[in-house]
Amino acid sequence: MQSDLPIRKIIHVDMDAFYASVEQMDNPELKGKAIAVGGSSKRGVVSAASYEARKFGVKSAMSGIQAKRLCPELIFVRPNFERYTEISKRIRKIFYNYTDLVEPLSLDEAYLDVTTNKKGLYSASMIAKEIRQRIFDEIGLTASAGISINKFIAKVASDYNKPNGQKTVGPEEVLDFIEALDIRKFYGVGKVTAEKMYQLGIFTGKDLKLKSMEYLDEHFGKSGRYYYNVVRGIHTSEVKPNRIRKSLAAERTFSENLSSEIFMLEKLEHISEEVSKRLTKSKVAGKTVTLKIKYSDFTLQTRSKTLPYFISDKSIILETAKDLLYQEKLDNSVRLLGISISNLNTEKHKDKDKIKDEESTVSVQLKFDF
Amino acid sequence: MKFIVSSTYLLKQLQVLGGVINNSNTLPILDNFLFELNDSKLVVSASDLETTMSSVIDVESDSTGSIALPARLLLDTLKTFPEQPLTFVVEDNNTVEISSNHGKYALAYADGNEFPKAIALEDPSTTTIAGDILATAISKTIFAAGNDDLRPVMSGVFFQFSTEGLTFVATDAHKLVKYTREDVKASQVAEFIMPKKPLNLLKGILATNEDAVTIEYNDSNAKFIFDNSELVCRLIDGKYPNYEAVIPKENPNKLSIDRTQFLNSVRRVSIFSNKTTHQIRLKIAGAELNISAEDIDYSNKAEERLTCDYQGDDMQIGFNSRFLTEMLNNLNSDEVQLEMSLPNRAGILTPVDGLDEGELITMLVMPVMLNS
Repeated sequence: MQSDLPIRKIIHVDMDAFYASVEQMDNPELKGKAIAVGGSSKRGVVSAASYEARKFGVKSAMSGIQAKRLCPELIFVRPNFERYTEISKRIRKIFYNYTDLVEPLSLDEAYLDVTTNKKGLYSASMIAKEIRQRIFDEIGLTASAGISINKFIAKVASDYNKPNGQKTVGPEEVLDFIEALDIRKFYGVGKVTAEKMYQLGIFTGKDLKLKSMEYLDEHFGKSGRYYYNVVRGIHTSEVKPNRIRKSLAAERTFSENLSSEIFMLEKLEHISEEVSKRLTKSKVAGKTVTLKIKYSDFTLQTRSKTLPYFISDKSIILETAKDLLYQEKLDNSVRLLGISISNLNTEKHKDKDKIKDEESTVSVQLKFDF
Repeated sequence: MKFIVSSTYLLKQLQVLGGVINNSNTLPILDNFLFELNDSKLVVSASDLETTMSSVIDVESDSTGSIALPARLLLDTLKTFPEQPLTFVVEDNNTVEISSNHGKYALAYADGNEFPKAIALEDPSTTTIAGDILATAISKTIFAAGNDDLRPVMSGVFFQFSTEGLTFVATDAHKLVKYTREDVKASQVAEFIMPKKPLNLLKGILATNEDAVTIEYNDSNAKFIFDNSELVCRLIDGKYPNYEAVIPKENPNKLSIDRTQFLNSVRRVSIFSNKTTHQIRLKIAGAELNISAEDIDYSNKAEERLTCDYQGDDMQIGFNSRFLTEMLNNLNSDEVQLEMSLPNRAGILTPVDGLDEGELITMLVMPVMLNS
């Protein structure tokens, strides 16, 4: 561990089955029942499931049909994001009573750096407990928390005693904790990476620690260094208040798979409009347009193009997406199309020193293409 | 060598020729006018090496000779005389003596042989065009030409002659003007790029001249012959960009509007625009054109609304107001049409009325991508 850095106190707060719990709270009839937030239609996907439903194996991102099969009495509830956002804001307000270093990851998760906090409390575990209690008292929902010296361990720990529990991994426990950790629990290790790790004989943190930096570098590229450090308890990523948005996207899953580009163009028009609306609402614009194509066999393809200027205009987004669509022949019929805009003009704040402020704010005079 | 000439007549000719002379010359002889006398015909020339212009002046004389006289001194002197005959006599001591009603003035001259010879055109092709039409073609296009030393071809005006008509094009990569005369034809296809300086001279001289101008040209030079004068210049070497390719073909959004009204609004609004980008925003919805500008640094802001005739989707597009102003200013029509496709594609500005038979003007302007 890097000894020259002061030990930080990071809390990861994670709401328990957030969307589902909000629905159950707002509608007492749903209390104690297996519910899923999301669409129940043929193509619907579960966004969140209550703990009652999880007992049956219903998970988020599962198709509605599959969920219904696992749990026949499952009740589907349409998501109400406005309501979730409102509650999320109230929860954040509670966080701000303790620290301004709050980094929301989504509506239901956030990192808090309480190394120095507004209440002058020493114990991060006590702060976590207090925050969870206040969320329960003031809002009526339960939350879980992980407390440790960096974001990585805090996040893993919050899952430990879920729901409605918390777990502290103190500085002296960190290394043992990570060594014992299942490789799948490492943040950033998904299905694919886990598979790869297994093949390399890596099943736990301990196995991972035995590998050299070069070895990890070779097998995992850029992520190699991250794994190498993180397994040694080194994760210096700061809690960044007001996470800067890096991209903005919209997508559509179609009720029928599409094979004609003409129909896709029509869909792209709607998606472009949606993306443009969101960009305008967030008052941002971006340079890179990425077209996401999910084929009927679920293979995913992305194609992107970076323009020399920032765009938020629907017609240009559409035009660029069209170019991307026609850029290459489609492999198969298409199940989903999405457009995302990245390289946003908000990113300038990040490295003010590197890029001159003006470059990203001043508009661009276009030239003829000759 | 001796000749007698009217003072105002000579001044008038020299003032035109003086436009060729650069303010500072590395070659001192270029600070002079060349006088070549052959009996009653005096040919006066001025040159900057790239462009040479000469005029034939009728004088009273029966001698011959060739001398170079300092241009500045001569012009300054001639300006002060009321109309009267002046006698020029070459003296033995390397000076020319000018005698007027008022007195005598002596100035040193150089040998005419020191003056660079005008370029002789080999195997030229020839086209004739009325002087005022050529002047119009120049003034309609030249403002759009660039100043970029890195792209010298764009610092001139592209002459495209064919049996169908004559086309003149200028662009600086941001704006482009294409001026076509279908009523004037060349005997064969020819293309060349004329530098700005000689064109500006021709524009001034020919503006009110309906007489025919003969243009002789080959691959490296062009010669313009009119009245008693000739202008020879070197052409800009290089390939002109394929401008036809950048003219958008499909422009579903068409805006028609009163030119003066549009111009005045753009001018007013642009006062409030950012001082470096000069950008203004056009927002078109239904029959309303909204022109706005903002200078965030100074909290300056302006917005105007105009009624227009619009067919197409609602759209927003940004332009450099200086380009729009120049272009609108350069048209004479009562009404103009602005055709657009996307906010990142060129807008096409054309006059709706006021054109001569066979005259066509297409102006293109690339937009500014507004960063909000």
